Amino acid sequence: MGFFDNILYGFQVTFQPLNILFCAIGVLVGTLVGVLPGIGPAGAMALLLPATFKFSPTSTIILLAGIYYGVQYGGSTTSILVNIPGEASSVITCIDGYQMARQGRAGPALGIAAWGSFIAGTIANIGLMLVAVPLARAALSFGPPEYFALMCTGLVIVTYLAQGSILKAIMMALVGIILGSIGLDIITGLPRFTFGINELTDGVGIIPLVMGLFGISEIFVNLEESLEREIFKTRIKNLWPSLKDWAQAKWAIVRGSIIGFLLGILPGGGAVISTFVAYAVEKKVAKHPERFGKGAIEGVASPESANNAAAGGSLIPLLSLGIPPNPIMAIFFSALIIHGIQPGPLLIKQHPDLFWGLVASLYLGNALLLILNLPLIGMWVKVLKIPYKLLFPLILLFCLIGAYSLNNVIFDLYVMIFFGVVGWIMRKFGYEGAPLILAYVLGPMLENSLRQSLLISQGSFLIFVSRPISGIALGFASLLLLSNLFPYFKKRRKEYEGFKE
Amino acid sequence: MKVYDQTSSLFWLLVSISVFVESIRLGIGTLQNPGRGFLTFGASGILGILSLILFLRASLRKEKIKAAHFFAGPLWKRVLLVLIVLVVYSRFMPVLGYLISTFLLMIVLFWILERGKLVFVFVSSILATIVTYFVFSKWLNCQFPDGLFGF
Repeated sequence: MGFFDNILYGFQVTFQPLNILFCAIGVLVGTLVGVLPGIGPAGAMALLLPATFKFSPTSTIILLAGIYYGVQYGGSTTSILVNIPGEASSVITCIDGYQMARQGRAGPALGIAAWGSFIAGTIANIGLMLVAVPLARAALSFGPPEYFALMCTGLVIVTYLAQGSILKAIMMALVGIILGSIGLDIITGLPRFTFGINELTDGVGIIPLVMGLFGISEIFVNLEESLEREIFKTRIKNLWPSLKDWAQAKWAIVRGSIIGFLLGILPGGGAVISTFVAYAVEKKVAKHPERFGKGAIEGVASPESANNAAAGGSLIPLLSLGIPPNPIMAIFFSALIIHGIQPGPLLIKQHPDLFWGLVASLYLGNALLLILNLPLIGMWVKVLKIPYKLLFPLILLFCLIGAYSLNNVIFDLYVMIFFGVVGWIMRKFGYEGAPLILAYVLGPMLENSLRQSLLISQGSFLIFVSRPISGIALGFASLLLLSNLFPYFKKRRKEYEGFKE
Repeated sequence: MKVYDQTSSLFWLLVSISVFVESIRLGIGTLQNPGRGFLTFGASGILGILSLILFLRASLRKEKIKAAHFFAGPLWKRVLLVLIVLVVYSRFMPVLGYLISTFLLMIVLFWILERGKLVFVFVSSILATIVTYFVFSKWLNCQFPDGLFGF
């Protein structure tokens, strides 16, 4: 089938009633999750995943993708109106978005965020169609050393881009690898680190792990604090940005989209980092950088475009190479595995309905978000006003149901509670969960490719540097790690941390 | 953060030593034929070294501001209470069944934050229990335990 036939086929898949419904549910739940504190995209996906078991993998992936980019839309609402980011990827939007709201320009800020997200989502989608297929073809020639090197690079980038200490992030990645090795050994089929507990033979479940580390720990943190938050009272009018707003924001949207898409593809990259880079670039190229921080519309358009473009871009390594580039994609990866689909270079060829259906659903989802979000902005503001004391028991209950219903075993509840406490303590001690989750998912694949590579090379590690792709990838990863030792990069990193702060 | 880093690094050091020893027991194998403890042997080894580095760095660091106490917030007891409730719920859900245990759980959770409003607590708990039961059990076919009473 040709390129356009494939796209048409994708739309045929997406426009099946069930898939339209799943896409709509996904974007609505995503926006809700983005607006509400206490449960992030990873937690929401993990929660809904068990509910998709009786549906097709394509419908499931359409739902999860809807949640992912719906969150990017929803997060901006709280950033602009409350100055509290619904999600980490909307942190930077607070700076200028909230200032715009204070100046009575909440409408244009929300409008440009929605339009920027729509345009960026569309650009990323075109990029996804153009890049994923050739990359998957090229990846067919990749062997275990290439996969090992790419996964190592992904992990190094995740740790390098960690918000806190790199040392702690690397430690968390190592803990993730160790956690991922619990259960049956891939090659010998013998158990390890199960401590005689039968339930651990299949390993630690990703759903309880994610729910615990991200969902339960977030609830614990919120419970420790006062639960009231103040919404900036302003009349939201003129959601359609003016021509002047468009003139100021148009290149910011284009630049944000390109940056977001490219950083999304990068293993270890993702929506969060892309917003910081896009904002920094926008400030750098601006004629009047002093406007930033005081309600510049480019300061909203650029990061909001970047986070949506990154959401689309990050699907590429997962669907073409079978390597999840960030923790959210790790959930996608697990969802595919649970549904009996092996992500990798053969996925597009063996499951064209899934790939092209997903691509078409991204167009549909973006359009739905635009149609639903702008007229429904009043409803999202009302959702913002729901007191947390009402939300927290429900979020907790959803987490419990989500963790239990995956395998219908109580043990998973204990695992979730355990990792909830671990995640809560980790936050207090300055450790991040993202490197742990990514390493946990990549761990078994990493081990497999490492052992296979060593078997092929008869024990020689030179196999990783003698092949061009793995050599370049590992060289890049090593340089990235070593760069921390040089004063110039140390200073730059401190600036980056300060910027994030 | 100094005390936090020292404590956590020692904890991870302990974890790394345990995994390291277990990896050796499982069998590291050879470079030509790596065993099932091969990767964890390497990972725990590096984790141990990094834990030591973190400990040393934290110990040598001079800190002007004292880190806040772990249970510094006035509301940490809420966390402890919720934690206990969750463990008790997990223990008794198979015995009491989904409906009863979830209703009791919701009563406690809503009560923690809305102590004065008993009617609100009661109605919210019933609604949350019944709605989630029908959505997840009846509509999405999740298999909740029936418990001793058969529902």
